Amino acid sequence: MKLAALKRWLPGARWAVIAPPYLWLIVFFAIPFLIVLKISFARLAIAMPPYTPILEYVDNAFHLKLNLGNYLNLLTDSQYIAAYLSSIKIAAISTALALLVGYPMAYVIARMSPAARNVAMMLVVLPSWTSFLIRVYAWIGILDSNGLLNRMLMGIGLIDEPLRILYTPVAAYIGIVYCYLPFMVLPLYATLVKLDRRLLEAAYDLGARPWKAFLTVTLPLSRSGIVAGCMLVMIPAVGEFVIPEMLGGPDTLMIGRVLWGEFFNNRDWPAASAVAIVMLLLLLVPILIFNRYQQRDLEGRLS
Amino acid sequence: MPPPEAKPTPVQPGSNDGYLDLQDVRKEFDGFVAVDDVTLQIRKGEIFALLGGSGSGKSTLLRCLAGFERPTKGRILLDGQPMNDLPPYERPINMMFQSYALFPHMTVEQNIAFGLKQDGLTRDAVRRRVGEMLDMVQLGKLGKRKPHQLSGGQQQRVALARSLAKGPKLLLLDEPMGALDKKLRSKMQLELVNIIETTGVTCVMVTHDQEEAMTMATRIALMDQGWIQQVGKPDEIYEQPANRFAAEFIGSVNLIDAVIDEDQPDYVTLRTQAFPDIIDIGHGITGFEGQPVSFAVRPEKLSIAKTEPAQAHNKARGSIEDIAYFGSHSVYHVRLPSGIKLMANFTNQQRWASEALTWGDEVWVSWGENDGVVLTS
Repeated sequence: MKLAALKRWLPGARWAVIAPPYLWLIVFFAIPFLIVLKISFARLAIAMPPYTPILEYVDNAFHLKLNLGNYLNLLTDSQYIAAYLSSIKIAAISTALALLVGYPMAYVIARMSPAARNVAMMLVVLPSWTSFLIRVYAWIGILDSNGLLNRMLMGIGLIDEPLRILYTPVAAYIGIVYCYLPFMVLPLYATLVKLDRRLLEAAYDLGARPWKAFLTVTLPLSRSGIVAGCMLVMIPAVGEFVIPEMLGGPDTLMIGRVLWGEFFNNRDWPAASAVAIVMLLLLLVPILIFNRYQQRDLEGRLS
Repeated sequence: MPPPEAKPTPVQPGSNDGYLDLQDVRKEFDGFVAVDDVTLQIRKGEIFALLGGSGSGKSTLLRCLAGFERPTKGRILLDGQPMNDLPPYERPINMMFQSYALFPHMTVEQNIAFGLKQDGLTRDAVRRRVGEMLDMVQLGKLGKRKPHQLSGGQQQRVALARSLAKGPKLLLLDEPMGALDKKLRSKMQLELVNIIETTGVTCVMVTHDQEEAMTMATRIALMDQGWIQQVGKPDEIYEQPANRFAAEFIGSVNLIDAVIDEDQPDYVTLRTQAFPDIIDIGHGITGFEGQPVSFAVRPEKLSIAKTEPAQAHNKARGSIEDIAYFGSHSVYHVRLPSGIKLMANFTNQQRWASEALTWGDEVWVSWGENDGVVLTS
């Protein structure tokens, strides 16, 4: 049979299902990553594109010219190290704040009636339906010395002169916590809503006061949600550019802004690429931790 | 009414009878009455079962005892102490939850130690007590396991150990066998009773399974729609059901509508539309002539034969319509000419004994004058 013979050589339906995500990852992740990695080993050049090739064909032989200068520069120039540390610090503090705000929110929503839960979760997610940029911009209107917050505080007589919040790190924290809060609330809610309430009753029954029962039962059992939420906030926050740029002011040093500066102001593509690669490596650590937790959580549930 | 020789034991003040004392306990949810003015006295050291179907209020009553629900009115006293205002974590009461509610993130030892740690015991004292409890439920080697690594029966024993670790004054069991398969159930029922009896703790259990209640409990309260229908020992409830609900809920029963024909101090006769003969009861009841009643007689009390029995009354003629063979016994469904069906058990004492009677056979069903009960409600 000709058709059967043909069928053997055509990719099966299994492949049609498996292939798209891999293709997606290769085209939109692996290839761009390799390009950036390549550029990070090149030298700055006045050319188009503005860097030297790393693979050259001279005298009948391929010459691989790897320039480690960009990376050495990152290690020696204290400005880069300060920017990395500051990024991680800002991301970590923002994550902690988002957890402090998000946990009670998720907890209360998970305790609501099923109908009220859906409405409340909708309200958490709804702002993300508008443009990210517009929402950050709206905070300028709130935090400005002439903005909503200051006018309200002065209106009720709490302060006499406007607080300087906009263009300080505080404004950047507010912006990051606000923008990434849904990513904290969603996984926390998902774990808390699954939590068996009889476990809490069992804890009360055995003599644990409500606060103790929360610390010994609810909190440890929502750990996977805490880890997931923290990773979802921390990882994008480290590389955040828009929020510190728009709200943070000049003294909010973050690696995203350094990257922007190298790329657009200095037009130093190799240096910018090296900054990006190192940031990726730094983020790899929390991502690996996250994956390990998720796997353990999954295994625990299966067995 | 039950015959006079088997009155339910009266409560004697000052004795241990009212160790757990429920006085007019009522629980309403948005106008729905889940528990309707329940008054109960439970003795010290007793295993007491609340038996009923779903929606009977038995679980709500148990949650009132544990402190998860607050009675709308009424009082709960344990060992003379009022419980109403105590939150669950201050009550000397521990509960074994339905499907156990073991803490999944803690080991067996940590689960059992949880309650002890809340009391601020020293680490040594906790460890010693946990060891004792593990030995008691014969799980000595499994202390380091997590709950999900245990079988259903083992999980149940951990749950029991956890609820007994603090030495509560009252142990509550919520559907203790609900999560086990049938074979394991009968084994664990007796094992659980043995452990509970060694500790001597007073125990209230909730179950919908009559067999479980009758196996495990010293006394049973039969509940329906928030009411207690009858309280008594298992055999009292079975042999002297207080009303139609009690007779029908426990075991199977033949209920025959009848009217009191003659009401004498030492005997009563009933007339019925079901069969021509009168029903002769060997003792007096409180009723009046002409009062409509139900006559209840258990299938195993009925004899079935092809020839007419010698006795004067308490017999009916019909034909076998259905036979249910259970191995140890067979149940014959006998249809009377009036259309009423009676169930009669026949113990298969000899092999192939059940083959003597078959479908369509004309048979006589008969019973003794003290085998049935007259129900007025």
